Amino acid sequence: MRPVAIIGTGQTDHARRRDDVSQPELVREAASRALTDAGLRPADLDAVVIANMELFEGRAMPELWVGEGAFANGKPCMKVATGGTSGTSSCIAGFHQAASGLFDVVLVVGFEKHSEGHTQTGMALTDPFWDRAVASGALGNFALSISQYMAERGVTEEQAARVAVKSRRNAARNPHAHLKDADATVDDVLNSKLLAHPVRLMDMCPQSDGAAAIVVASADRARELCPRPAWVKAAATRHEQPYIGDIERRLLTMRTLKDASRSVYAAAGITEPLQQFDVAEIYEPVTYAELAWYEILGFCPEGEAGRLIEDGVTEMGGELPVNPSGGVLSANPVGATGVIRMAEAASQILGRAGAHQVEGAETALVTGYGVYAWADAAILGSAA
Amino acid sequence: MIREGSINIPFLYAAGKAGSEFLVALRDRQQLLGSHCPACARTVAPARAFCPGCGGEEMPSVDIGPGAALVSWTDVPGRGVFALVRPDGADNAMLHKLLGPAEGLRPGSRLRAVFADERQGHITDIEGFEILGEGS
Repeated sequence: MRPVAIIGTGQTDHARRRDDVSQPELVREAASRALTDAGLRPADLDAVVIANMELFEGRAMPELWVGEGAFANGKPCMKVATGGTSGTSSCIAGFHQAASGLFDVVLVVGFEKHSEGHTQTGMALTDPFWDRAVASGALGNFALSISQYMAERGVTEEQAARVAVKSRRNAARNPHAHLKDADATVDDVLNSKLLAHPVRLMDMCPQSDGAAAIVVASADRARELCPRPAWVKAAATRHEQPYIGDIERRLLTMRTLKDASRSVYAAAGITEPLQQFDVAEIYEPVTYAELAWYEILGFCPEGEAGRLIEDGVTEMGGELPVNPSGGVLSANPVGATGVIRMAEAASQILGRAGAHQVEGAETALVTGYGVYAWADAAILGSAA
Repeated sequence: MIREGSINIPFLYAAGKAGSEFLVALRDRQQLLGSHCPACARTVAPARAFCPGCGGEEMPSVDIGPGAALVSWTDVPGRGVFALVRPDGADNAMLHKLLGPAEGLRPGSRLRAVFADERQGHITDIEGFEILGEGS
């Protein structure tokens, strides 16, 4: 496989509602910004990959409707839909298309316009026999396995609240973020509405309208077009069992994330992730998940995630800043969310992250998450 | 301009061989069924056609429950307590309701399936799981 790199990124300013634009117009905003960032024209694109969870908008074949927004007319175009991982999986599909030699320049665009549909209905349209009939949707996916994780690892509600505070404060320096609060406090989180014990409103990711795009290029084109490409060092995706009760798909176990991360660590020579990564953009659907992922990703031993957040290790200026963008807790247009993670990590390597730049970032970790089932991991670096 | 509307989507899903066997046993015998994979030495609930570990299709049904152990739970204001419940004899958990308050629950708490009087071959033929005590 050939080396490939990300040479440009583009995002909309994510928001609760974008009534001013249609879905293709929303997609066009991110796609145009990515092309501008990469210094390309639409004719330079060889192929397009789109990420979206169409049930959230209740509109079939989204790749048909938004394709022209993504400059796809007359080009190879396909859609990837794997829940929350749709975005990272679509990026990895784009990496494979360029790495295989099939195409030289691929545009990947993810989008969601939650305000146009009914996300809870989309989330609830899961397995009709076991999960849907009892309780599903965000409740089943996020809240159910937290009590087990807290009991096993000694994590507290206050430690989880610190994750929300970090995210919303970081988001205050990100022009694209949806929920920003430079003055957020632990008490604000602990006093926010209880949704499903122990998850409170400020522990949860929002539903956002937004789109994000990256431009993937083969090594030759990347060197021609970009002074400091964000090289793809490794990428992996994993699929898992279907039902909420299955052993390996819980906060505590999350086999897909463990396997995907170990796969990319091995490929990129990562043995001490906390030391070797300069920045991480991880997919945390809820505060408790970020803590669980610290342990699963090997940032700390099991049972020490609470200490990691309390000690500020993952804050801006800490040893490993996690989600300088504000993360999923601060912007969540689902089909775009994984692309945002990849675009943010690439921007850090490209040196284009603006007010939330981690100075001198050379190695970045990206993860994706889809309903405790799917997980993706990728490592970007400044050296080919 | 914004256009408003709604869509009503009817459905007719097949439970399949393993799922149908589980639902019939639940309706007719008030019995929970798991599927045992000899190769993986693992029993999964509810009954299913393929082993989630190795993909194998040799998955004989075995009786599991009605006793169960609590794995994890959430208390949703206004809706009740939902839990991941591991029926005795199974290695994984099923999602269902708990018939009682969340106070004092911990992983491992002992539970027992309560069956509905009127059963229709549906997962809600289990009304929920009653809480027996702290267990081991």
